[in-house]
Amino acid sequence: MRRLFLGMAIVSIAVSIAIVASLLGNAVGFFVDVDKGSLLDVGWFPRRNRFDLLTPIAGTLVMSLVAMLVATPLGLGAAIYLAEYAKPRVRRLLKPVLEILAGIPSVVLGFFALLWIGPNVVVELLNSPKPATILTASIGVGILVTPLVASVSEDALRAVPQALREASYGLGAKKSTTVRSVVLPAAVSGIMASLILGLSRAIGETMVTFMAAGAVGGALRTWNPLDSGTTLTAAIASVATGSDQVAGEALAFEGVFALGITLFFITLVLNWMSDRFVRRVRQKY
Amino acid sequence: MTGRTETLDTAAVVRASLRGRRFNPAGVAFEATLLLMLLVSLLILVTLLADIVIGALPVFRDRGVDFVTSGISLDSSTAGVWTALLGSIGITLIVAVVAFPLGIGAAVYLEEYAPDNALTRFLQTNIRNLAGVPSIVYGLLGLAVFVRLVDLIGLGGPDTTAGRNVIAAGITLAVLVLPIIIITASEALRAVPDTIREAGFGVGATQWEVIRHHTLPAAAPGILTGTVLALARAFGETAPLLVIGVATGFFSAGSAGLFDRLTGTYTALPAVVLSWSRQADPVFKENLAPAAIVVLLVVLFVANGSAVILRNRYERRW
Amino acid sequence: MNPRLWVSLIAALVLVGAACGGDDAGTGDGDPTGGDGGSIVISGSSTVEPISARNAEKFSAENPDITISVEGPGTGDGFKKFCEGQTDISDASRAIKESEAEDCAANGVDYVELEVAIDGLSVLTSLTNDAVACLDFKDLYALMGPESLGFDNWSDADALAAELGAGHAPYPDAPLVITAPGEESGTYDTFVEFVIEDLAEERGAENAARLDYVASPNDNVIIDGIAGSDTSLGWVGYAFFVENQDKVAALAVDDGASGCVEPTPASIADGSYPLSRPLFIYVNTGKAAEKPELADYVDFYLSTEGLASVAETGYVELADYSDTFAAWENR
Repeated sequence: MRRLFLGMAIVSIAVSIAIVASLLGNAVGFFVDVDKGSLLDVGWFPRRNRFDLLTPIAGTLVMSLVAMLVATPLGLGAAIYLAEYAKPRVRRLLKPVLEILAGIPSVVLGFFALLWIGPNVVVELLNSPKPATILTASIGVGILVTPLVASVSEDALRAVPQALREASYGLGAKKSTTVRSVVLPAAVSGIMASLILGLSRAIGETMVTFMAAGAVGGALRTWNPLDSGTTLTAAIASVATGSDQVAGEALAFEGVFALGITLFFITLVLNWMSDRFVRRVRQKY
Repeated sequence: MTGRTETLDTAAVVRASLRGRRFNPAGVAFEATLLLMLLVSLLILVTLLADIVIGALPVFRDRGVDFVTSGISLDSSTAGVWTALLGSIGITLIVAVVAFPLGIGAAVYLEEYAPDNALTRFLQTNIRNLAGVPSIVYGLLGLAVFVRLVDLIGLGGPDTTAGRNVIAAGITLAVLVLPIIIITASEALRAVPDTIREAGFGVGATQWEVIRHHTLPAAAPGILTGTVLALARAFGETAPLLVIGVATGFFSAGSAGLFDRLTGTYTALPAVVLSWSRQADPVFKENLAPAAIVVLLVVLFVANGSAVILRNRYERRW
Repeated sequence: MNPRLWVSLIAALVLVGAACGGDDAGTGDGDPTGGDGGSIVISGSSTVEPISARNAEKFSAENPDITISVEGPGTGDGFKKFCEGQTDISDASRAIKESEAEDCAANGVDYVELEVAIDGLSVLTSLTNDAVACLDFKDLYALMGPESLGFDNWSDADALAAELGAGHAPYPDAPLVITAPGEESGTYDTFVEFVIEDLAEERGAENAARLDYVASPNDNVIIDGIAGSDTSLGWVGYAFFVENQDKVAALAVDDGASGCVEPTPASIADGSYPLSRPLFIYVNTGKAAEKPELADYVDFYLSTEGLASVAETGYVELADYSDTFAAWENR
């Protein structure tokens, strides 16, 4: 039995190897075949042989950072309120709200971003001339990662020993002072972990960006969230659906794997960092 | 929990006596800001659900169950989600068949058998990393490996499908949720106290007997809850399916048999949401796509709800 | 142990077992060649997709045992798959290119080209834009051609338009937001071929639209993008304009010879609308010989009921289908 179970556990290693091998195999082919000049051309237009990798990377950075501008205050605010202020009854009522939000599939948020956030927030409120922009996707993705940030940082706050709070009160500190000067610094590792995890999730999110960012199939390099643009994930999905499976031009096909491996390593590094932070919390208390 | 509430009360008393009745505007503003953040999240959820339900309402009012049991159509007055629902259910069943035994097996190894050595630590790190890999990367894996594999072993269907079918989609999503199942099953096994195991060993049971008769049954509620949540995740997943060729246009499976449905072209509920949001006829995106989302959310809420009930009812505290 | 827990465990196992059993049973019964059934896979132009899909739906109502799927990734991507033998029919909003025909030949894919409808590629703006009512090809080149990169205001194109001798410059001083199909689309190819190619060649510019417009494969995003800005510009197939007349307005187009013409069924049918173009389906003749259901579907497509789908989806019927019928008969 032991061997059988060991074999099942080793499947996970096989999966990792298969991911890296299939991504690298095709990506290497891409970097060998591609005209190197086109890697720094004016934008990501795989069907026009312009493969500026910085375009989807810049789009990903802008999209995910703006998404974190949405998710950080919402997620952290909700977490601190739930962990430090809410009465147990309120907490029991409000916590499930975040859990419901966490369970909503990304295609639903993509739909919401495309048909509600775009016209109502981006166009009406922010006076943008176009509804489908990087910002539209950012808001949708921000909503998507808010529950993740909230639940991980709430866990971190609740792991702070009660003795620390009591010591603070004993010195005559107010509740808000205690939360800000004692509890938050004590939970900072866990909060950082939640933010990095949220960022990693935002970077890896596909459907919202694919549906709402506007120019997902090909875009110029831009750092302006009010432009239409593309991201690593949306560019992959776009080539994939353009030909309905990735089978378009040979280079575009391989280029998708180059995007994939970039995405894979970015999220791997972020997850590793967040893991380190989580471990630091565990060691401390 | 109770201990904590009491100490909070103590703190309140100490604070009140130290501070008298001083009103603390900065503190109130801070608390109000935090509450505002929570309420904004709540408001977003309400807006999202209201927008979708209001859009979907006319469909269910006028057509009721007919919407669920009709196939895909271009005619907005007869289009339904049945074909897509079948595809999604088929995919989810394959995910269960593949990922459930593998995930539990791996968790049993890690929690019950594994010595504390480099291999074990590597396995655990690796599984955590896999859980963080973006879903679309699994789509690329499925395209590069599983689609070809399924075609190679003769389950690829007609040459116009060539492995881009329910089986390949199921395997791809099974691999995607595998780390989640392993992690939750490990947690459930870890929560079973050692006294249970020791009692088993004490009466002369082998390790396998202890696992089968004592540890696994004790951990079953947690494992099942985790599995149901993972299956719900697979049910709503879209991005990997796009890469491995889910049909996003008109699709009718006709009266094809089970084998043809499993090996042939397919579509899934989230893919229908996507494709209806891009139809020319506005009824599709304003009413039918929201109605399809309602069906999707109802399935997910029922699944998640039953997982929570399962956990609350059967979970033992040791 | 709690009996209820056993019940739920067993239920879960039965579910899993049923799925396994289902697989096995399927393998036993399954006849991949499919007795009465059969399958038809159609891909290609998203412009033609509504017609083919409508016919697929009518056809499957009469032949419920046939699996049929229709998708619209774009004409170029459609031919790619078609010439690899992955699809039975390729929808196309332009004729097959030489390079694509070579691919088909290399893979031994024989096909027949069937013209099924006429489309008028519609140049759109928002309903609130009353500053512009008509544009000629030179205007369109100045605003959306390869040399207009970076123009985010209509008036930015004034100098270029003057140089070209465009008919409707100077343009208003207003933001220019362009949303249109991407390079995978036959509608994009048609636009480049009709509007840009000659001028670009003459001026030594790249034979393509400007890079910095919002390209979307989703026709709804295009319509929303055009409707979302007062002085927007873009183009789609006629059917998508007809469906969304309450949100966007079509500009009249002037080819430089015959004056401003608005897209209407009449002007598209008689070819006086300068952006009129034929729509095709390409049928794999090898597969049509092998698969009776495929031949049946094309027969249905070319029947009165099938051709009625052309007008039902917002396109214009050919005045005379006899060439199409002959091509199909002589496949």
